[in-house]
Amino acid sequence: MTHPLYGSTAIAGVGLRQHKRGHSPLPERSLLVEAVIDACEDAGFDPADVDGFVSYGDDKNEPVRLMPELGTKELRWSASVWGGGGGGIAGAFGVAAGAILSGQAKAVVIFRALVEGASGRMSAAVMAHHLNDHLLATGMTSPAQLCALRANRLFHHHGVDPAIVEDLVRASYHHGSRNPEAVSYGKEFDIDALRQSRMIAEPFRLFDCSRENDGAGALLMVSADLAETLAKPPVYMLGCAQGAQAGWGDLLENDDEALFATAGMRSIARRLYEETRLTPADIDVVQLYENFDAQGVMSLIDHGFCTYENAAEVIRFDNLIADGGALPVNTSGGNLAQGFIHGIGLPIEAVRQLRGESSNPVPGARTCLLAGGPGAPTVSSAIFANEVL
Amino acid sequence: MSRFDGPDAPYWEALEDGRLMLPRCSACQTWIWPAAHRCGACHADDVQWVEMPLEATVFTWTRTWHRFGLTEDFELPFTTVLAEIAHCGIRLLGNLEDPDRVDPEIGQRLTGTIGSTRTPDGELPVINWSRV
Repeated sequence: MTHPLYGSTAIAGVGLRQHKRGHSPLPERSLLVEAVIDACEDAGFDPADVDGFVSYGDDKNEPVRLMPELGTKELRWSASVWGGGGGGIAGAFGVAAGAILSGQAKAVVIFRALVEGASGRMSAAVMAHHLNDHLLATGMTSPAQLCALRANRLFHHHGVDPAIVEDLVRASYHHGSRNPEAVSYGKEFDIDALRQSRMIAEPFRLFDCSRENDGAGALLMVSADLAETLAKPPVYMLGCAQGAQAGWGDLLENDDEALFATAGMRSIARRLYEETRLTPADIDVVQLYENFDAQGVMSLIDHGFCTYENAAEVIRFDNLIADGGALPVNTSGGNLAQGFIHGIGLPIEAVRQLRGESSNPVPGARTCLLAGGPGAPTVSSAIFANEVL
Repeated sequence: MSRFDGPDAPYWEALEDGRLMLPRCSACQTWIWPAAHRCGACHADDVQWVEMPLEATVFTWTRTWHRFGLTEDFELPFTTVLAEIAHCGIRLLGNLEDPDRVDPEIGQRLTGTIGSTRTPDGELPVINWSRV
C-alpha cells in the first residue's frame, strides 16, 4: 500500500529574503511577512487564505501574530517541531502535511525567520535550548564544540579521512559562486581560505562552520490536487520522517557508541526509504543541512550514500557538483556558501531545483532529498519530487 | 531550575563534596545516565547512587580556541575530554590538563581530581583529568 504521505501534498510556492547578519532592512516579523507574501505570489495564491503555519528550531514568531499583516481570514493550524537546532526542519513539512491530509488546514506555510536584532545570535539561541551545568562547568557552551567532539571521534576512531570535508566545502562554494542570492556569489573559493582560517574548536576551523544570516524563508504547502491548479508546477512531497531512534537523543553525550559519530539519522533515513520505496540510488540531488561540515559527512553516511569505509570515494568534489556529479549536494551553496537562515534556504533550493529554476541545475533531476539538521536530538528528513514516481 | 532540583542532584551534591557518585538500577544493575528516577531497561524505580573512582579513558575530545560566551573562566585554548568512567561506561565531560597541547588519543587512560569553574551564577564543581 502506498504511504499516505506519498505524493499527496506539494509545495506550491517559495519565498526567501536573505541579508547579511545584522543588516536586515526590516524587523524580523516584517521580513517573515514579506517572505510569506513572496511564497504566495510565487504560487498565485491569496495570502489571506493561508490557514496554517509550521516552524521549527524555537522560532519566535507565533503565527497568530502574522495575521493582521497577512490579512489572514482564519488561523486553523499552528505548530512547531521540537528542538532548538535545525533537526526539525524537514519534520515541519510532515507536520504541515498531517494538517492538510487530515482536513485541519488547507494551505500551510512552513517558515523560519531570524534577524539578529530580534532573535540574537542563532548559535547562542540553539545553545540556550540545551545548556546545562554539565556543559557550563566544562566551557562547552556552543554547538561547534559539541559537534567537534563527534567529528574527532569520526576521524580518529572510525578512520574517516578528515580531508574529505574539504570536498564538501569546495562543492558548496562552487555552487554558491554561481547563485546570485548566495553570499559567495561571484567569488572564487580558495581551499587555503579554509585551511588557514582560525581554529574554533578542533577539528573545526572557521570555514568548517555554517555562517549566520538575517532573513526569512517561507514555503506554501497544499494538497497535491490544489497544487496542480496553481501557478507553478507542483513539487510533491514523497515522504517525511522525524524523531530519534533508541540510543540517540539529548543524552549528555551518552548516545550508543555505534551512533555517537553519526548524524543521528539512520532510523530516519531507513523509515524514509521504506515509506517511499526509494533507495539512495533514486535520489538525484541532495540539499544537505551542514551546521558543520563533518556533520554533513555523517548525514550523507546515515542516508546511505556512503559508509565510514568508502566515504572518501563518494564525497569528492567532482561527484558533488551539479555539473556531472552523481551526488550533487547543496546546489544553491547550502548553509556554508549560500547563507544560513537556520537551513530554510535548503528546502527552497529543493523546490527550485525540481522546477528547473536553480542556478546550478541538475539535468533531468526528478527527486531531491532534504536532509535536516544533523546531530540534533530530534532529527528529520524528507524527499521531494517533480512527479509522483 | 537549579542543579539540585533535577534527577542528577546527588551527582552535584557528591561532586561538591569531593566524590564522584553515579546512579545504577538496583534491580538490573544497569548504569543510568543521564540520571533518572527509574530504569528504562527493567522499569524498576529503585536507583542506587554508587561512589566511583576518578578513573576513565578518553572517548573523544576537542580543544577550544574561540572565546565562546560563558567560557570566561577558561584560559584559551582549553582542552575538553568526554571521559568514559571506568567500570560503568558512563561518559562525562571534563577538563583535560594539556599544558603542552598534546592531542589526546582515544582510549588513553585518565585520572581525575575535582576542581571548580567560576560561572556568572557561582562556582560549579568539575572533574579535571590528566593522562596517566
